[in-house]
Parts: sequence; C-alpha cells; structure tokens
Amino acid sequence: MTHKSDTGMLHGTLDALILKTLSHGPRHGYGVAAWIEDTTDRAVVVEEGSLYPALYRMERRGLIEAEWGTSELGRKAKFYSLTARGRRQLADDTAQWTRFSTAVSKILLPA
Amino acid sequence: MKFGERLRSRFWRMRVDDEVDAELEFHVEMRARELVAAGVDRDEAHRIAVRRFGNIGRVNATCRAIGKQREKDMRRTEYLSELRQDLTFACRQLLHNPGFSAVAVLTLALGIGGTTAIFSAVRSVVLRPLPFSNPERIVLVFEQLGGNRSSVSAGNFVDGVEPVTAFSAVTAIQYSSFNLAGAGDTERIIGARVAAGFFGVFDLPAERGRVFTKDEDQPGRDQVVVLSHRLWTRRFGSDPAIVGRQLTLNGRTHDVIGVMPARFDYTADGEELWVPIAFTPERRATHDEHYLTVFGRLRPEASVAMAVDEMQNHALRLRQAFPREDGDLSFSTIGALENLVGPVGRRLYTLLGAVGFVLLIACGNVANLLLARGAARGPELAIRAALGAGRGRIARQMLTESLVLACLGAIVGLALAAWGVRALIAAAPPGVPRLEQTRLDLVVLAFTLTLAFASAMLFGLAPARRAARADLIAVVKDGGRGAVGGLRDRLRTSLIVAELAVALLLLAGAGLLIRSSLAMQQVDPGFEPSGVFSARFSLPSTAYSNREIVVQTLDRLAGAAAAIPGATAAAVSTQVPMAGGGNGNGLLPDGKPFDRRNLIQSRLRMVTPGYFETMRIPIVRGRPLNETDRRGAQKTMVISEALARAAFPDQDPIGKRIACCETAPDGKTPDFKVVVGVARDVRSRGLGEAPSPEFYLPIDQVPPEGWEWVQRTAYLVVRTAQDPMAMANPLRAAVREITPEVPLFQLRTMEQRLRDSTATARFNTLLLSLLGVVGLVLSCIGIYGVIAYFVSRRTQEIGVRMALGASRRDVIGLVVRQAARPVGIGIGLGLIMSTFTLRVLSTQLYEVTAYDPITLIAVILTLTVAAAIASLIPAGRAAAVDPTQALRAR
Repeated sequence: MTHKSDTGMLHGTLDALILKTLSHGPRHGYGVAAWIEDTTDRAVVVEEGSLYPALYRMERRGLIEAEWGTSELGRKAKFYSLTARGRRQLADDTAQWTRFSTAVSKILLPA
Repeated sequence: MKFGERLRSRFWRMRVDDEVDAELEFHVEMRARELVAAGVDRDEAHRIAVRRFGNIGRVNATCRAIGKQREKDMRRTEYLSELRQDLTFACRQLLHNPGFSAVAVLTLALGIGGTTAIFSAVRSVVLRPLPFSNPERIVLVFEQLGGNRSSVSAGNFVDGVEPVTAFSAVTAIQYSSFNLAGAGDTERIIGARVAAGFFGVFDLPAERGRVFTKDEDQPGRDQVVVLSHRLWTRRFGSDPAIVGRQLTLNGRTHDVIGVMPARFDYTADGEELWVPIAFTPERRATHDEHYLTVFGRLRPEASVAMAVDEMQNHALRLRQAFPREDGDLSFSTIGALENLVGPVGRRLYTLLGAVGFVLLIACGNVANLLLARGAARGPELAIRAALGAGRGRIARQMLTESLVLACLGAIVGLALAAWGVRALIAAAPPGVPRLEQTRLDLVVLAFTLTLAFASAMLFGLAPARRAARADLIAVVKDGGRGAVGGLRDRLRTSLIVAELAVALLLLAGAGLLIRSSLAMQQVDPGFEPSGVFSARFSLPSTAYSNREIVVQTLDRLAGAAAAIPGATAAAVSTQVPMAGGGNGNGLLPDGKPFDRRNLIQSRLRMVTPGYFETMRIPIVRGRPLNETDRRGAQKTMVISEALARAAFPDQDPIGKRIACCETAPDGKTPDFKVVVGVARDVRSRGLGEAPSPEFYLPIDQVPPEGWEWVQRTAYLVVRTAQDPMAMANPLRAAVREITPEVPLFQLRTMEQRLRDSTATARFNTLLLSLLGVVGLVLSCIGIYGVIAYFVSRRTQEIGVRMALGASRRDVIGLVVRQAARPVGIGIGLGLIMSTFTLRVLSTQLYEVTAYDPITLIAVILTLTVAAAIASLIPAGRAAAVDPTQALRAR
C-alpha cells in the first residue's frame, strides 16, 4: 500500500516539479509521476488525482504542450513537453523556491 | 445554442473525451505492468492500479472540463488572430484603391448620415417619453359634440371629469397670455390658468417653494403664481429669493410661491407660468363655452377604458340635465405624448422611410462596386484559395472589408449627421415639439452602428458569397478576364432594378408634394395679404374693466393706426386669418327649433368697421359692417359664403335673422341678429383647408362678456401701399400713445403669416425633393458603373464587331440595350411599389391623389432620361474603341 504524502505539497510545488521533470525531455503522465517518485526515492508520491488535472491546467495555460506519440512499449501515449513559456515559469518557480527555502532554513536551522 | 454550435461542440467533446479516456487508461496499464514486473498476478495488479488511482471518474471529468476550456480558448485566439489578419488586409486593400474606397465610403456616409440625422429627430420628438413619472398614464380628455371634437366646458369638467374615480388627478387648463410688469419692460408671456390638480397629473414637485393647493384654486384667494424654470432664469436671473416676491400679471399682483424644475420645460414654446384657474360658481355651472384643455392621470390599477366608461355615464346624465348644451355629449381620450406629437410623428416617419430608401440605393451601389472589384480580384482570390484559404475564410475576408467600409461610412456619416441635425433644427418649420433637443446620444450611436453593420451585410454578403463560390480554375485560365459572373450578370442588373424602383418611389413622393405646393400657391386665400401689417395686443381687466372703455380704446387704436402716414386703412379684429386659435359658436338660423342638431358651428370675428376694407375681403352681397352698427341700433352681422350656404340654402340671406352667442335681454329667448352682408370665404386655417363657416360681429354690439371670450386679446391690422414691415415702429408708437402699458406682440405682415402657414408643407417638400435628387443621382451612378463595367469587359468583343463592320451607332445601341432592360423593369417595379407606399403621403397632399398620373409620367421621363445619359457615357467610350488596339489587348 503506497503511503500518501501527508506533509502536503505546498501550493504550486507540483507544477514546479512537473516543469522540472519535463525540462529533461518529453514524457507522458505516468512517466512524469514515475520520474518524480524515483528521483525522490518515493519520498514524494504524486497522486493521479492531482497530476492529471495539473497537466491539463498547465497545458491550457500554455506552459506545456502535448502530442500523441508511441511509448517505449509500443503503445499510443500522450507526451508532454515544455514550451518556452513553461521554461520561463520553471526558472521563476525555482528562484522563488530558493528564496523561500533559504528563508525557512534561517528559522528552522539557525547557524 | 444554435445547431451548428452544438454540432461543433459535440465534435470537440469527442476528441477531448477520447483523449482523456485513453490517457488515463494508459496510466493505469503502465502502473499494472510495473506491478506485474514486480511479480504481482495480472488481474490483481490491475485492481491495485485502479485502486491506487483513486476516484478515476472525478479525475476524468476534471480533465475533460479543463481540456474543453482549452479548446475554446484556442478557437477564440485563432478567430481573433484571423480577424486581425482580415482587418489588416482589408485596410491595405482599401488603401490600394483610394478612388474606390472614397466613392464607397462617401456613398455610404450619405445614406447612413442621413438616416442617422432623421432617426435622431424621430427619437427626440416621437420616441422619448415625456419627463414625468409614468407618463403613459396621462391622457388628454376631450368632448365629442355634434360630431366634432372640442375642448371641454367648465361645467362638463366639473360634472363629467372631476368625479371619475379611475383618475388619481385631473386638471383643466386654459392657455392664456399675460402682461407681466415690474423688473423691466412689460412683457407678453404665455402662461396657463390651471385647476389645482395640474401638479398631481404631471406629478412633478416644485424645484423651489411649492405648488398651489386646492384652497388657493378659489376666486379671491388665487393671487399666487408658479414660475417655469425658463422664466425664472430668463427674466429673474435665477434670483434665489424669488419665492415670496410679488409680480404684476395683467395688472393684478400675485405672490410667487414656487419655481418648477427645468425638465418641466420640455417644449421650447411651452407656457412659462401657472396661476389657479379659480372657477367662480357661475363658471362651474356653465356647460356651454368649450375652451378647456383637460388632462387626467390614471390610477395605477385603472385602464383608459375604465375612465372612458365612467365619463360616458356622466355624459349620459349631462345630456339629460343640459339638453341644449350637452345634447349628444360624449368624452374620449388620447395619450398625452400622442397629443403632443400628433401628425408630426407620421411626417417624421415618412422622412425616415425616404432617407432609408436613399441608404438602400447607396448599399446597392456599393454592392455593385464590390462585385466589380471582386471580379477584378479574381486571380488574387484564386491564388489565395490555391494557398489553402477555404471558401468560408475568403467570404469572411470579403465581409470584413465590407464591415471596414461600413464603419468608415458610419464615422463620416456621423459627422454628416451632426451637421444635418443642426441644419434640420434651423430649417424646420415652427411647431415641431422637442426637435430643438435633438442630440446624437448613445442610443443614436448604437442605431448608427447597427445601421452600419446591417448595411455591410446587405451590400457585402452577395459579393462575398460570389467570391467564395467562384470557379477558381476558370478564373486562372481566363487570366482574370471577368469569368466571375460572366457577361449577363443577373445579380448586378437586379441591383440596378431595385435601385431604380426605389429612386422612382422617392421621386414620385417628392413630385406629389411639389404638385401639391404648386396647387396651393394657386389658391385664393379670400383676402389680399400683400400690404397688410398685423400685431396682437391685449387689454388687462384692471385698467379696462368696463365695456365702454374697451370699445372706446379699440376705436381709438384703430383710428390712430389708420392715421399713420402711409396707412390707407386700419381696423381691430379679434381674429385674423392664418393666426390659429379663435373662437367658435353654434349659430341657429331663424325658423329652426332650438336643438343642438340645428346649430351651425361657425368661427367668430368681432371687428371694427374698417376690417373688410383693410383686409380687402370682398362683400359679395349686401353691405359691410359700418359706423351705424353701434350699440343700441339693430343688432347686425356679416356672414361668410360658407355660412350662408349652410344656414339659408338657395335663399337670399340678406335680412334673415341668426341667433347666436347670448340670450336676449329677457334671459330666455335666443338673441337674434340681422344678416346685412355676405363676405367672400376666407381660408383662415391655411390654404390647404377648406373654408369653414365664419361670421363677423360689430365689436360695439357684443355683450360685455364677449371681450372675455377672446381673453381680452385682439389684432390690429393696417393696410399700406408701402412696405408693410415699415408700419411696425409707427404702429408701436401710436399704440404707446393711447395705451402705454400694453405691449404689442406677434408683429407680422399678413404675407409672413401666410408663408408660416405653409412652412411645414414647404419644408417637407424641400426635404423629400432633396432625397429624391440624391436617390436619382446615386442610382444613375449605379447604372453608369454597371454599364461602364460591361463595356470594359467587352472591349475585345466590341473590337471584333467593329472590325467586322459594325458602326458606331451599332455599338452604342448594343451598350444602351444592355441598360434598357433593367431600367424598364426597375421603373415597372417602382410603379407597382408606389401603389402601396405613396398612400402614406395622402394627408400631406392637396388637390392631387397619391396616384397622380401626371406626376408619375414626369418621374418616369426623368428617370429614363437620367438613365439614358448614365449609359450613353460608357457607350460613347465603347464606340471610340480602336479595333486594332482592342484585339491586341490580350
């Protein structure tokens, strides 16, 4: 039974993670979830209930674009890739995250 | 949702829905595979994957919704970007052909601007509600007596209208003029004596002070006045302390108790002050003398029918109680706005229709221009189609161009309309209510935009469809030599047919009005207007309280006027022709029983002896009134021919007796007067109106109250052999000598009064003629355009014909024949349409029917000649074609 991350994902963090994932190249939805889980050693588990609405929302906002292609197993799958606008958004999100975590660290981890 | 939209949305939904289903299914399957790879049983793996997904239905629905939103966004973006492309392209196209664009824009501006100007006038005069709360509940009440609509008598108002429960308020109004003295010159002001219910009917509170109460609407307590905003600003410089001040009106002091708000001055010539009408008990009991304008406000739950029903019951009662005065009395009503606007509204709508026709012709012309250009642009469109532009896309592109043209036309048209409205207000005949308040406001702007859009659809749709449907291969093969449409172009010739038909309607309408004006100029008014000067005055009741003083003063005024150097005759009359207003009485010829049905409604003039000589009204039998017709002598009258015919058919009226106006000194029998002369009929109400029965009484023989019937107001008339306007100043001086406190007003020559009486007719004639000429010119431009196009497309063929021996005359014949058919059909169609539409003019026509053959023949000739000229110009050009040049042209 996969345990749900009850640390709660900070608002907007999932979007940033998806953008970062796609910055390495086009992936389908399952691929995005798998990559995040693998990379974080399953510390972050992406729920399908959040992932797909997020992908559709980001597509609507023009941050990512989708194309139907053939998956590694030879099946038709919808691949997402980053747009120029998505790339800029990723840069913004990263910078904001850095500022935020630095600030929080100053409180939680005093030198 | 329209069917097309539903279809498309279904189409899109299928795609998005399938996508989501497939994507989520793929996810579950990948997850299951992962589990299988880890050693889980295949079915179990699938179950776990689904469970782990959570509420798959909800996720699916969310994704579908977002996906559909996205599709919608994309369609909008695409549409906007295409629109921008189309707009840019359209502007570039129009700039490429500045001549074409200018002609099209100006033609449209003429149509749109004209229609906008007239519409704004219609809106201001007819469509705007009156500035009161629930103005539709205010109705005008009038009496119906002996088949005539008349004003209401005081008694009938008190007994027949006041008790009506369907009205929440009623009022009786007597419009009247007042000599206002103090704070500057004595001035003549139009005011109204009103019953206290007045302010309840119009339901508007005073802006300053208060309005008067029922208590003040009583004799003796009635010396209060409410001022209009206009009078307050104009005469009293908006004095903030006006309430409480005293004014002298007709020699009596009045307390100013209030000022009405500015929006109560909703017409430019409305009354400027209100005083209580304060009926005396005798007045309240008088059922004769119909002089009151009565308004009522319906209760919210009441209907007009309820009010009329109630009044009808009172009328039946009054018929019994006063059989002599109210023999067949009934009451009817019309809406207050309808009463104000009346026939002016119908005339304005006629004009709006006419100017709309001009716009239709303009649209026809622009459509023709676009078709011609569409043909010339055939190759360009073919290339665009070859590069992948769909038919819908090309049609939209063409329509965008039409819209840009129409918008430019609307902008120039608005400028034209702004100028046109000013010209209209300046040139309009007097008496069009609220015309001076015409503005190009937001409603008018919205109208203009709608008009522009509708025009664009009208003139752009056919060319756009044709461009989209063109046989592109043929165009390219033909090298753009006009394959679009071919040689016999049905669409273009039918546009010419329609334009001509509409032009015929406009010209025929104008022609009928012109014929009417000409007929009216031939009419004998019954008197000699040239050389007569006239002015009005009134003698206040304070200084001229008794009959002797009044008659003496009137005699002295007439005498002083006649003594002015250059004057040949002068008189006083209570009424002059063409001045409007006036009093009527029911006259009873001797020998007929005293019954309402035997009364002949006739118009009264009380005159001093010189009146017939001054106005040069011929006496056809007997003698005019003279110095012997004084008080104490035999009571006499002069009657008009129309009255003589009605009262004594086939008899000599001289020496016969007619009862009128008062009872004999015994108080019971009617008071008879002897007819001493018959005067030529005078067209007092206007040249277009048949003369009505009139009678003249010597001013010295009328009863004391006779002077009150005319509200103590009369006219001085002076005849001179010189310029009558030169009489104005000497007359003023002479009057000041005798009655220093009495101002003269309405100083006009009789010729001016005559001209004023035909001002409306002349104005309508002028405007409709103008529109007719514009329509004619525009449709001729249309014919010219089509024929010129025809010639340019057939230059080569004409060259061949000429090379084969055709003469110039043959070529011209060929071209003109091309025009003859649509012109003929257009005229025929116009004639058929005219039988339906010209009827709207019938109330404005004089001695001409709406189907006047002379007018129609003249119009047909005009159109034919104009069309011939329009087609002969390009025909001449065709005949000048050099065959060798033409053949080499390809």
